[in-house]
Amino acid sequence: MPADATRLGAAEQLALERWQARRRWARAGLVYAVMLFFAIVFVGPLLFATVSSLRTDPLAYPPSLAIPQLRPSNWAAAARLGQAGAGDRWFGGFAPGAVVPFEIGYFVPDGVDMADPHVEVPRRRPGAGLGAVLAIDYAADYAVVSELQRLPDLAMVMAAGDQEIVGRRVAFAFTIHYEGDGPQIDRLPLDVTTDVGVQYLDSTLTASRLERRGRTASFNDVAPGVLGYVLRNYVRVFNEVRSPTTRQSLFLAWIGNSFTFAAVRIVVTLVIASMAGYALARLRFRGRELIFILVLFSQMVPLQVLFISNYLVLRDGIVTLGGFTLSSLWGYPGGMLNSLTGLVFVTALNAGAVFIMKQFFESIPREVEEAAMIDGASHWRRYWSVVLPMARPALGALTILTFQGAWNDFFWPFIVLTSPETVKTLPIGLLSFRNTYGAVGDWGLILAGAVMSAIPVIVLFVVFQRYFLEGVSFGGGKE
Amino acid sequence: MRTKQSDTVAAYLFLLPFLTLLGIFFVYAAARAVYFSFTDYDLFRPPNWVGLRNYVALFSDALFLSALRNSILFAVIVTAVQTFLALVMAAVLNQRVRGIGFFRAAFYMPSITSSVVITLIFLWMFQRRGLINYLNESFQRAAPVLLTFLLLVVALQVAQVVWERRRQLPAAWTDPALLVVSLLVAAGATWALVTTGVISPRDVAPVDFIWLQTRETIPAGAPFWLAVPIPLAAIMIQNVFTTIPTFMLMYLAALQDVPKSYYEAASIDGANATQQFFRITIPSVAPVTFLVLTLSMIGTLQMFDQVAIFGDAAPLRSVVTLAYFVYNRMFPGAQTPEVGFAAAGAMFLAVLTLVVVLLQRLLVRSEGR
Repeated sequence: MPADATRLGAAEQLALERWQARRRWARAGLVYAVMLFFAIVFVGPLLFATVSSLRTDPLAYPPSLAIPQLRPSNWAAAARLGQAGAGDRWFGGFAPGAVVPFEIGYFVPDGVDMADPHVEVPRRRPGAGLGAVLAIDYAADYAVVSELQRLPDLAMVMAAGDQEIVGRRVAFAFTIHYEGDGPQIDRLPLDVTTDVGVQYLDSTLTASRLERRGRTASFNDVAPGVLGYVLRNYVRVFNEVRSPTTRQSLFLAWIGNSFTFAAVRIVVTLVIASMAGYALARLRFRGRELIFILVLFSQMVPLQVLFISNYLVLRDGIVTLGGFTLSSLWGYPGGMLNSLTGLVFVTALNAGAVFIMKQFFESIPREVEEAAMIDGASHWRRYWSVVLPMARPALGALTILTFQGAWNDFFWPFIVLTSPETVKTLPIGLLSFRNTYGAVGDWGLILAGAVMSAIPVIVLFVVFQRYFLEGVSFGGGKE
Repeated sequence: MRTKQSDTVAAYLFLLPFLTLLGIFFVYAAARAVYFSFTDYDLFRPPNWVGLRNYVALFSDALFLSALRNSILFAVIVTAVQTFLALVMAAVLNQRVRGIGFFRAAFYMPSITSSVVITLIFLWMFQRRGLINYLNESFQRAAPVLLTFLLLVVALQVAQVVWERRRQLPAAWTDPALLVVSLLVAAGATWALVTTGVISPRDVAPVDFIWLQTRETIPAGAPFWLAVPIPLAAIMIQNVFTTIPTFMLMYLAALQDVPKSYYEAASIDGANATQQFFRITIPSVAPVTFLVLTLSMIGTLQMFDQVAIFGDAAPLRSVVTLAYFVYNRMFPGAQTPEVGFAAAGAMFLAVLTLVVVLLQRLLVRSEGR
C-alpha cells in the first residue's frame, strides 16, 4: 500500500514537472513576441520614414509600405528606360540621339469611345527650393514625341465598390526622341492627358501622380535609371540643394563640415581629457577639491546660462585687448561666429570626458608607473609612454561617444553657425531643409536628408554597440 | 599621500588646457550670466545695473509664463509616464533569453540618432494627413474586430484556467501556456468571423486631428496652469518614445541583479504577479528609480531642441519652454535683444535644475538611512 502511493506520487510529480516545463516554454515564446513588438515600435518610425523617403510624395495618403519604388517591375523598366535615354541604367538622363519607348494603358468602360491621349514633355522646374532657381536645360526644348500607336484592345472587368464594370484595356505606344544636338539633360518629365470617362491603368513606369481628377498621368522622369528612380529624393538632395552663389552642393558641404567638426573635436577631447584625467587621478595638489566641485557643478548648469556669454566671447574673438583680438592668432580677426573653429572652441569643454578618463586611470594599478618612477622619468614621460598606451580601450570608447556627440550636436552649432548655408553642420542644415521645404510640403527631400544623416551613427552603433551601452552606465545616458 | 611641490606644478601643467576652457566657458560665462541678469544689457549699449527688475518682470511676461507652464507640465508628465512605462516594460522583459543583445540594440536605436532626425520624422508623422492620424483612423476602423479578439482571449483564458484548476493544477489567471492557446484560438476565430462577414470593420470618418498649427489645449478650456497645448503634447509623445528605451535598459540591468529567490519565495506565499511587482520589483530598483527620475527631470526641464526644430510649424506660445525662452529673448528676430531679461530667465532655469538635483540628493540620503 505505501509503495503504491509513492509510485503514484512520482507519476504525478512527473506530470506536474512537464506541466511546469510547458509553462516555461510558453513564457519564453511570449517574451520573444513582446520583445519583437517593442522592437517594431521603437525601430518602426525610423524604418517607415526610410521607406517613405523613397516615395515621390511621402505625405501621400494613406501611408503605405506597398509603394511603386519597391516594385521590381519598375526597377527593370527604370533601368531599361535609363539605358534608352542616356545609356546609363543607374542614373538615366536624356542625351542626344536617345529614343525612349513608352507604353500607357487605360480602362475604358463599354459604350465609351476613347480618343488618342495628349502626350507632352512639360517644362517643369524640379522641386521648389534653391534648385528650382538655378538655370537648367529643359528636356521640353529637345524632345519630340512620335505618333501614337494604338495597341490591340483587351476585354476586362473592373471592380468598383460592389459593382463590376465591363470594358476593355486600351493601350498606346510611342517613343520620345532627342532631336538634334544639345546638352545631356537630367530628367525627362512627361504628362499624358485623356478625356473624361477613362481611367489610367498602367504604364511602362508607374505614374508619379495623377492630376486633374485623374485625367493627367504625370511622370517626374521617364528615363530615370534604377537609382534615379528608387532613390530619386536622395539624388535630389545632392543635386537640387545648392548654394545660390557658388552652386556648391549644400548637403555635401554639410557632410564635410560634420565630419571635420567630429574629427577635430575627437582629437581635442582625447588630448585635453586624458591630460586632465591623469592629473586628477594620479597627482595630489592644492586646489584639487575645488576643481572637482567646479567639474561637478559645470555638468548641472544648463547650457542656456552659459551660451549668452560664450556667444559674446566667440563674437569678440575670445579676448579683445587694445584693438588686438586673440582669435586673429589663428586667422579670425573678426570673431569666430560662423566658423567651425569657433564651434570647436566652445564645445571643447567636456567635463564628462575628463571624468571617464579619470575613472579609467584610477583603475590602472600604480605599480605599472613605479618602475618608470624609479628610473626618474618625468610626469610627462610616465603619462605619455606608460599610462596612455594602456588607456587605448578608454580612448576608443571616448572616440566613439565623442563622434556621436559631435555628429548629433544641435545646440552649439545652432547658435554658432547661422550663415552662410555652406558653413553649417548636418543637423543645422537639415533644419534649414525643414524651413525651406516643409512649408511647401516637399517632405521627400527632408526625409531623405534625415535618413542619410542618421546612417554614420547607426553604422557606428551596430559595430561598436558595447561602447554605447556602457555609455549608459558611465554618464547616465547624457552626454 | 602628501602634496608635493613638483606634483602641484606638473598637475597644473596637465590641467592647463582644461582649466583654461573651464575658466572662459564656464566660470566666466556663469559669472557674466549672473551679472547680466541684474542689468538691462541689449548687446549694443553698455549694461546698466537695474537690480531685481528683470526677475520681477519675468512674472508679468506672458511668454515667460507660458514657458514656465509648458516646462513644468512637460517635465512632470513626461517624467512620470516614461519612468512608469520603462519600469513596466523592463519587468515584462526581465527574462534571461537568448538573443537579448539584438533586441537591446533595436530598442536603443531611437536614442542614438540625433534629435533633429527624430524630430523631423515625428513632424512628418504629425502632419494632418500623416501616419499618426492614419493609425488612429485605422484603429477606430478595426475597433470591433480588436474588441472581439480581446473578448475571445479573455473568455478562452478563463475557461481554460477554470478547467485546469478543476484538474487540481495550480494555473494562474495569466498562465503563459494557456495564454498562448487562447491567443492562437482567438486569432483563428476572429479571422473566421471576419471572413464570413459576421463582424466587419466600422466605417469611420477620416481622422483629421490638427497636431501642430493649433492653439487648442488638452483638456480643452482647462485653467492656464493645467492646460497642455496640443503641439506640446506631440513633443511629449516623441520624447517619451525616444527616452523610454534608455531608461528601460537601465532598469533591466538593475532587475537582472534582483535575486530570483525573492520571487520564488513570494509565489510560494501566494503573491500574484501584480503584488510581486509592487512588493518586490519596485522596492528593489528604488535607487535606479531615483537616478531615472533625476535624469528625466533635468533632461525635460532643459528641453530645447524640439522647440527649435518645430520652429514655425507650431505657434510659439504652444511649445515654448524655459530653455527656448532664453534663446528667444537673446535672439528675438527683428526686435532688440533683451540680454538681461534672457539671463534672468536662464538663472531661473538653473535654480530650478539645482533644486531638482538637491531634492534627489536629500531623498537618496534619507533612503540610505
